[in-house]
Amino acid sequence: MKERLREVLERFKVNFSAYIIDINEFRGQTFVILGDGSPIRDIVGFLKTEGFNHLQTLTAVDYLQKSGVPRFEVVYQFYSIDQGISLRLRLQVSEDKPEVESIVDLFPSANFFEREVYDLFGIRFMGHPNLKRILLPQNWEGHPLRKDYPLMPEDKPRDFLELVELKERLGGYGIR
Amino acid sequence: MAAGAARNDLDRFGIIFRASPRQADCLIVAGTLTYKMAPVLRRVYDQMSHPRWVIAMGSCACTGGVFRTYATVQGVDQIVPVDVYVPGCPPRPEALIEGLLNLQKKIREEKKNWGPYVRKELNY
Repeated sequence: MKERLREVLERFKVNFSAYIIDINEFRGQTFVILGDGSPIRDIVGFLKTEGFNHLQTLTAVDYLQKSGVPRFEVVYQFYSIDQGISLRLRLQVSEDKPEVESIVDLFPSANFFEREVYDLFGIRFMGHPNLKRILLPQNWEGHPLRKDYPLMPEDKPRDFLELVELKERLGGYGIR
Repeated sequence: MAAGAARNDLDRFGIIFRASPRQADCLIVAGTLTYKMAPVLRRVYDQMSHPRWVIAMGSCACTGGVFRTYATVQGVDQIVPVDVYVPGCPPRPEALIEGLLNLQKKIREEKKNWGPYVRKELNY
């Protein structure tokens, strides 16, 4: 771990010790696991004042079959362009209340990331300016990257079924 | 692309790419179709004037290919009538040309079945 990152983490621990579940390293990459209900906006704002000026990615994980932990984890990957240090936040999110504070006002690039996570995992980001589906059609049901989402859902989108019906009806008349 | 360019040159078969479905006789579906894009494909197809034909080019367009997922249409023949299936991932330019030639053959065979001079009883 770089000396500068160690300093940041020391201050981090002082400020947010109540929410930290674990701080660890994996293959040289430092991560912090934060408990459910952590004030993520304050934490990200703190990191921003510490010089982390680049949100590399924001994504989520579904730990459906892992016992003893909340079902979801939202992962924030921060990087400091000036100092060359990076830090990963892993925020636990429960299945009952999949809601997280939005960080769009701090990092505008989080806008599309949060929409994607909402689209595919169904985790709502409170305070997001435009929280709607970004990849799937707006009338889609379900969140496909959840582990309990079926590979091939039985019910197809309604407008698609209308097209199938239209094609078969026209074909019945001999119209191509 | 390769089939239309200099080496294979679709122009020598009288096949010219058009910039608009309204001027086209044949629609080549050249890739994966998702449920999100399905209404768009149908709209493009509906904009073509009669008579019209469709070629499903590649495994994805024919059957969905390797993408057996929640978002992929398992074959474009679910929403538009397909005349020629060209399998392959991706198909060789020669395969596409053979598909187009087969379509031309099919059109030649059926051309007396439609139009103002249709006389089915004569069995041309």
